[in-house]
This record gives sequence, C-alpha cells and structure tokens, in this order.
Amino acid sequence: MPVITIENLKYKYPGTDTLVLNDVSLTIEKGEFIGIAGANGAGKSTLSQAVMGLVPQFYKGAYGGKVILSIDGEGEINTKTTPITKLCEYVGLIFQNPFNQLSGAKDTVYGEVAFGLQNLGVEREEMKRRVETVLKQLDIWEYRDRNPFDLSGGQMQRVAIASILVMQPSIIILDEPTSQLDPQGTEEVFRVVDQLSKTGITIIMIEQKIEKLASFCDRIVLMDKGRIVDIDVPDNIFSRDDIEELGVRPPVFTRFCKKYDIKNPDGSYPATLERTMALLVGREIDVTEDDIGEIQNGKKAESVVLESTGPEGEIVFNVSRLSFSYTADVDIFKELSLSLDKRPTAIIGQNGAGKTTLVRLLKGLLKPVSGTILFGGEDIAEKTVAMLAGKVGYVFQNPDDQIFKYNVLDEVMFGPLNIGMSEDEAREQSLKALELMGLKGKEKENPYDLELFERKMVAIASVVAMDTDVIILDEPTIAQDYPGRQMIAGMIHELSKQGKLVIAILHDMDFVADNFERVIVMAHGKILLDGGVKSVFSSENNEILAMARIQKPYSFLLCEEL
Amino acid sequence: MKSISLFIDKGTWLNRLHPYTKLLYILAAVAVPLIGGNLWLFVAMIVSSLLILASGKIIKNALPLIAFSFTLIIVIFLIQGLFNHSNETAFFSVFGLTFYKEGVMYATGIGLNILNMLLSFGIFVLTTSPQELVDELEKSGFSPKFGYIINSVFQILPQMMSTKDTITDAQRSRGMETEGKLIVRMKAFLPLISPVVMSSLINTRERAIALEVRGFGRKQKKTWLSDREKNKGDRLIGIILVALIVLTIVWRVVLCR
Repeated sequence: MPVITIENLKYKYPGTDTLVLNDVSLTIEKGEFIGIAGANGAGKSTLSQAVMGLVPQFYKGAYGGKVILSIDGEGEINTKTTPITKLCEYVGLIFQNPFNQLSGAKDTVYGEVAFGLQNLGVEREEMKRRVETVLKQLDIWEYRDRNPFDLSGGQMQRVAIASILVMQPSIIILDEPTSQLDPQGTEEVFRVVDQLSKTGITIIMIEQKIEKLASFCDRIVLMDKGRIVDIDVPDNIFSRDDIEELGVRPPVFTRFCKKYDIKNPDGSYPATLERTMALLVGREIDVTEDDIGEIQNGKKAESVVLESTGPEGEIVFNVSRLSFSYTADVDIFKELSLSLDKRPTAIIGQNGAGKTTLVRLLKGLLKPVSGTILFGGEDIAEKTVAMLAGKVGYVFQNPDDQIFKYNVLDEVMFGPLNIGMSEDEAREQSLKALELMGLKGKEKENPYDLELFERKMVAIASVVAMDTDVIILDEPTIAQDYPGRQMIAGMIHELSKQGKLVIAILHDMDFVADNFERVIVMAHGKILLDGGVKSVFSSENNEILAMARIQKPYSFLLCEEL
Repeated sequence: MKSISLFIDKGTWLNRLHPYTKLLYILAAVAVPLIGGNLWLFVAMIVSSLLILASGKIIKNALPLIAFSFTLIIVIFLIQGLFNHSNETAFFSVFGLTFYKEGVMYATGIGLNILNMLLSFGIFVLTTSPQELVDELEKSGFSPKFGYIINSVFQILPQMMSTKDTITDAQRSRGMETEGKLIVRMKAFLPLISPVVMSSLINTRERAIALEVRGFGRKQKKTWLSDREKNKGDRLIGIILVALIVLTIVWRVVLCR
C-alpha cells in the first residue's frame, strides 16, 4: 500500500478560471524521497498543499479527485476531510520564508520547537526528550534560549524544520526550504533531510537547486501547467530532450555527458557527479577550456562578450579603511579597503558575513563609523540617500517592502519620477525596464495579484528604470526558476554592456560563475578572496572557500574531477 | 530585537515568584488602604512596594512610573487644593493662592492611591514575562487563542516596526524624501504605510498556515514544558497577603461597631 495515493486530482483557486492541478495522479511509497521539478506556476506548491490538506481546506476553491494517505496503524486518511490540525500528526510542511513559520507565540527557540508538541498534547518528559534531540540534530542546541526572531534566516529556517521534525510526521513536505539559505546552510538542510529519508520518513521536496534534487531524490515528478509530465528516476527525467522547454535546466553533469555522449547502460545521461565519474573510469576524453566555458554558460558567444565588457581600471567606488558597527561593542568591519570598477561583481559568503551591510554602506543607507567611501571621487558621507538615488540603485531582497501602487507601471515609474525624470521619460524608461524583466503586457495589473517571483521582477524593473550608474541587487535569484534566472542574467549583461556597474549578493554559485566577472568572498566582515571567477574558484583556494563555507559551482567541481 | 514589554529578568526572588502571587500583591496593596480607610495605610503600602522594588534591583526602572504619577498628582493638588467644592478651612497660602485643608486632604488621598497602584503594578509588570503570565492564564483555563493574541503582540509588533525601517530604506533608495516639511512627510505616508499593511496581510496568511500545521486550534488539552508550581515563598507571601486583607476587613468591621 503506497503511503500517498493521489487520484485524478483537479483544483482551481477561488475566483480563478484556470485549473492549477489538472487531472494529477500519483502514488508514493513509504520512505521514498520524491522531488518535484517544474517552472514557476506549474502547480508544484499546490500539489504539495493538497497532501497537507491546505488545498482545499484552507484555500477553499473547486476540488475534484482525492488524496489518500495510508499511515501505519491509522488506516486510510482523506486529506480533504480530515482537519489539518489532525493531519499534522502525519504530514509536516516546511516552506520558503522562515520568518513566517515561527509561531510568534514563543520567546525562545526551545519553546518555539515545543509549541507543536504542546498542541498535540505530548507528555512533558517525552516533549523535552524530543526537543533536545532535534535541536542537537539540526545543530541549533546552542541557540535554545535565544529569541527565534533574533536569529539569521538560515538559523530561523533550521528552527522551522526542527519545529516540524519534532512532531515526528511520517511524511515531510519541503517547499523550496533552502532558497533563503547560504550554500552551507543548504547543504546542512539537505544532509538532515537525507538522513530522515533513510529512517523511513517519506519526503516530498520542491526545489530549484536542480543538482541537489538529482543527487538526493529517488524519483522526480516533472510538472508543467498543472499536469504531471513524467515521473521517473533523476537521470531519465533530466535526459529528456524537452526538459529546458519545460522551464527546468538539467544539472551541469547531464549537460556535460550529453555533449560527450557519456551514457548510462539504459541510454540516459547521469545527473550527478558521482555517477558521471563512475562512467568515466578508464575512459579518456579530450576536454578543452572552451568546452567547459560552454557547459557553464550555455552559450559560447556570451562568455566571450563577458570577458571583454567594461573598461577595467575605471574606479567607481573606492572604499578605504572603512570601519562600521551597529552596536559599540561588535565591529562589523574594521579598516576594510576595497575598490570596485565596472566589472559585474558578485559578493558571496555565509549568512552574516557582512555582505548586506557593505552594500548598504555603498548605497549611503548606513554611514561609516570611520574611513571613507568615495563614489566617482566624491565622499558619499556628505550626500543624503535621496541625493544618491539617481546614481546608485538598490533592489531590496523582499519586493513587498516597496510595492504600494495599484498597477505595475505606476509602481515602476515611482522611482524615475522621484529623481526628476519627466513623465514621458519616466514612462519610456519604465516600459523598457518592464520589457527587460519579462513583464511586458502586465503593466496594468495590480502588483499584488502577481506571484512572488513576478513581484521580484517588478521590484528589479522599478530600480532599473531609474537608469542609475550603479545597480545593487540583494539576492535577486530567490524564488526564480530557470527562465526567471535567465531573465535576470540577461538584465545583468545588458546593464554591464551599457557601462553600468552591477553588484549582486548571491548564494547561487553556478549563477555567479555564469554571469559575473569579479567575485568577492566575504566572511566575518573581512574580504577573504577577490578576483575573477576562475581564479577565485580555482582549486588552490579550496581551503579558504571552505573557511568561508562556500560551495563551489558544480561546473568547477566537475572540472576538478576531470 | 527591540522589546515592547517592560519585563526585566534580573534573576531575583521577584522573578521567581509566581505571577498570581504578584497579582495578589496588587490586590492587597490596593484593597488594604481602601478598606482600612486610613491615609497611613497608603503610606505603609507605598513604602513596602518601594522596599520590594529595591530588593528586586529594579527601583531605577520604576522611576519613570513614579515621575509620571507625580505630574498627575501635582495637577490634582492644584485643582483640589484650590477649587474643591467642600473647601472651607484655609490651610496655607503661596503666591497669594490659598490652599484649603479639605481639598488638600482629598488630593493627598487620590495622590497616594495613584502612587500606590502604580508601584504595586510596577512590581508585577517589571518582573513578570508576558509569556509566563499568558502560559499561567492558559493553564488556568484561559482561551489559547486569546493567549496567542497577547503573546503575538509582544513578538510580532516589534517585527512590524523593524519592517517599517526596511521599507523606509527601500523607498528612500528610490529617491523618495521622508524628512522635511509637513507636506513632504504627508506625501511619504502612503508609500511607507501600504507595504507595511500589505506585507502584514501576506504574512498573516502564511502564519495562519504555519500555526495550523503545528496543531494550533486543536480540540485537545495542551501539555506544558514546565509546571510553575507555587514555591514555599509563594505560599508564605500568599498567606501573609490574604491575612492582611482579612485583618483589615475585621479591623474595619470592629471599628465601625
């Protein structure tokens, strides 16, 4: 008896006409690790929420078909009719935003994790034992007395996972749980999840980090427009010829093997490093640097353009002996010096390394305690944020922190009008920016009717439209699928070509390797490495990268193995 | 995180006391002078509250409360001392203003009452974590949903305040002036407040899901991480306070006969 049986499931959100789930049937066996892949809007989250009973119990709407759980000792459970507060004994859900998963009722991590058990009425000694076990398992035991709201995003997400794990559900659903985490945090989450799956827990994971899905999942469900296109082992799914058309970029290993025609006995291409290397034992292949570049960037031509953009040496920002602290006793930066030229620059590092603080200083939102930041030769300490607004653009991580107009075009025109553009000019710039971010045709929509990934594009467009010399992006790829990431990559190339400096804070290392010329690695308020992509990720820096808790891009891992 | 509760954990005996014992103290502090009907009882309770605050090392934190009550008390003195309707006997004169005995006595009564209440309430607020109080209330049969509202106000309101800072930065980054003349500030109101409201609404929906998937709202008796058993001190203080109230009542009854 499969643990989850989904039969002919159809679903429409209230007030809409499109079927988000259109005749979905699927069975999942106990202990399986299932990945769900597909473009944004394919119905992945909705499907997972149907297993949790949130669809239709919480969201209402039109529902057809059924989802049946079969739990040992409990018999068959219909998720449409069993209350969610009962279902939560069997199914746990972890989602993207760690902050919203905190109950808000507890002032310590320990109490937060115990919250669900209190509601289930678990005995005290049992409760304490379980809380201690999961806190240690997720490496957050030391934070047990801290206020969960004071933790970083990655730590908060681990608290959220602990809060679900502690309830010991048989099925755990993770809906892009690592999108807001640094690479090390991501790795930790995946490791924990993998351990869980070995203990017989059934796992359903939605994830855009495709290499991770490929190496952890037993099977992958490929979705498109509310339908299941295919269910198979990762190697088969990613070897499909139409995979990119479905909005999923196959792992770098699959792309590499396709190029060199390295096949599994069954004719599929391997999707993980291990399986690729296993096939290469005893084989000689002639790999040139160009080929690797091609695998990395997808297109050869683009990489050539990249190397030649921006006249090097023209200094945009000159930071010298910068010191900064939020509170008197903790220094964030001490005597930091750095200069930024026009090369597109990625700033990477663990959560809490000081990346956001640095770009906020560049933007003038924070003032240095000592030292100077020169922008175009002038000290920015003497300028107000509003004065800098026309020169330096900054896209915040969360689009909901800025959106307030009732249609997309007005929202995007707000910035340009503020910095003194004429109505016509502002409109022209905004339409151009919207087109660049793939929002053409959505000008009249209410931003709040758009999905999060589209709202992020609106936020980016609203800053691009200001036509600033510098544009700073804080985690632009969060919540984006492959087409979305390509759109952002296109924007970065376009702006660099226009001679603008693009600075981005990123956790997605493959995106960094594909789209940036300069990489700055930060840890604990210091710059550990600074240079071109190839030199920063070269094997001689392995130790420093490990120290900064950075995981290399998969393409570099592959090259090293070769 | 900026906390909006006044609670300070100094690890003193006051922090270890059960919230209900401290509530009982408020009751006693307010009831004894009122029942006893003697101004000296107010003074006695005020002195005892001050001593308790001092022993809990929080007298400094109580100063704003005292300062606040003093402005109020002075106003009452002026009004009652000068204009109370039963004013007959002149008491003293300052700058040609005559204060009357009846009004001054009346104002003293009110003033001491206010100070007494504020101090005894101060002991409670300064030494009891809101979380602990809500837990105890829920254990005594209070609705968990109502408890959640109180708790979440203390947790989520400070979060909303910090979201407001981020939003201000985001809009300033887009060239919006947030400081200066009234008209500038008024124009900035909508761009600042709409995202706060909208993102709170979005967050609320997600949080509702988060609570539900953790079994909140289930018709089942909750369990607790710890019992806040009343300790020896609690019992002793409780007995003393109840005895005090009873004694005052008896004394008053005997006196009236």
